[in-house]
Amino acid sequence: MANRLFMAAAVAAAIAGVSLMPASLEGQASKAAPAKAGAIPRTADGKPDLSGMYDVATLTPVERAAGTPLVLTDEQAVELEQKVAATKDERAAPIKGDRDAPPVGGDGSAGAAGNVGGYNSFWIDSGSRFSIVDGRKRASIVIDPPDGRVPQMKPEARQRSTRNVRPTSDQSAREDDPGFEGNGAYDDPERRPLGERCLMGFGSTSGPPVLPNYFYNNLHQIVQTRDSVMILTEMVHDARIVRMNSEHVPSTIRKWMGDSIGRWEGDTLVVDTTNFTDKTRYRGTTQNLHIVEQFTRVDAKTLRYRFTVEDPETWATAWTGEYTWPATDELMYEYACHEGNYALGNILRGARLKETNDAKKTRQ
Amino acid sequence: MRTKLFLFAAAGVLLATAAVRGHHAFGGEFDPNKPVLLKGPVTKVEWVNPHAWIHIEVTDPDGSKKEWMVEGGTPNTLLRRGITRESLKVGTVLVIDGYQARDHSLLRANGRNVTYPDGRKLFLGSSGTGAPTDGADPSDAAKPPTGRGRGGR
Repeated sequence: MANRLFMAAAVAAAIAGVSLMPASLEGQASKAAPAKAGAIPRTADGKPDLSGMYDVATLTPVERAAGTPLVLTDEQAVELEQKVAATKDERAAPIKGDRDAPPVGGDGSAGAAGNVGGYNSFWIDSGSRFSIVDGRKRASIVIDPPDGRVPQMKPEARQRSTRNVRPTSDQSAREDDPGFEGNGAYDDPERRPLGERCLMGFGSTSGPPVLPNYFYNNLHQIVQTRDSVMILTEMVHDARIVRMNSEHVPSTIRKWMGDSIGRWEGDTLVVDTTNFTDKTRYRGTTQNLHIVEQFTRVDAKTLRYRFTVEDPETWATAWTGEYTWPATDELMYEYACHEGNYALGNILRGARLKETNDAKKTRQ
Repeated sequence: MRTKLFLFAAAGVLLATAAVRGHHAFGGEFDPNKPVLLKGPVTKVEWVNPHAWIHIEVTDPDGSKKEWMVEGGTPNTLLRRGITRESLKVGTVLVIDGYQARDHSLLRANGRNVTYPDGRKLFLGSSGTGAPTDGADPSDAAKPPTGRGRGGR
């Protein structure tokens, strides 16, 4: 049963052939790959070679339940992984072919599914394993604070967050129309979430900090040269260029993913990012968000990714997370999000229609 | 016992997260008061991001034929499993339940459940679609799974 869900990826290489990696860079990446187990591949100038394709899908959540340890026992991890696998199998199982339409008023789905349901699980490719750091399975990405929880936002940050909030997908269901967000949520395409507008991935996929989205398309590609490092995020097509041994651009210049500069500290690539816009607002932060990332190759097939997040206007203290990025030989495909984005048009059109109908009712 | 409870709670959170998060507001796009059950042959597949759209021809009770569009997920995920738009051939009969777009003049719906007429979910366990391990090749069963995820690397 499990095998039915995950069809052979081996032939994926034979189809489409739309790897985003230029042939010349592919050569560089493959040169790095055949390092001996335990050894790390290096570039000609002796730096660790981080180039490659990584799949960061994981079951390890950003935060863990209060009072629980950072490391899962093997028994806990196996039990949870098996439970997730069993549920996926259950969702893949056949249903009645001669079924009826779903119920009027919605199917009771919560959250972003908005009471109309999403789509079948065969489209979904979330993680199936917990992230392994230092040989142990992790229960959370957050490691500091040691309780594995992102610090509480400052009260003024929470107020700012409420004041500035752009509606996120299906944030509030209305009693008379479950799944429909509140007034104003659809007044302007620019009030819609960045993911819905195909501008950035949802859930800080491109970051920084780069996080798994627990849904699908969790591939990242790193291309490294002496002077710059490119981090390409499949969801949704974001390429962040890290300038090595450089200075930040002037503070008047603001970027969706911030301005990233890098340096080597021993065998670790340290990336410092500032100059965010006030549009991304990761976890309600301001444009003064400051992220420091550390990329370390722990072996030929694994990167350790650690990040520290600080924004004094949002949290009293900085906080840190880490997880591993396993290398994959799978291909990244172009995510030309906006070319097929019927959804945004459908959403805005639906809202205009609803306004018209509501106005008619009021006049009657 | 406490550990067990925690584990199941944690697994519930993980699965719920995976189940509900997505690219866009499903509830803003589709009308919970307009459920639909669509049955008919595939006429076209738009293999595009952020959502694939499957077109099917539905015959109304009066005999007239209408083309509906049904929203699915990202094709990238399926591509990595060796499934392409060629895996879903024109003429394949599907049964789809979902909700119609809020603009009812559009014959569009979400593919809440997309199955073959016997209830099997699309692509999963399907035979003869051309997809790898689709059951068309008897030797598939003997091959180790190579896809990422359970049973894979």
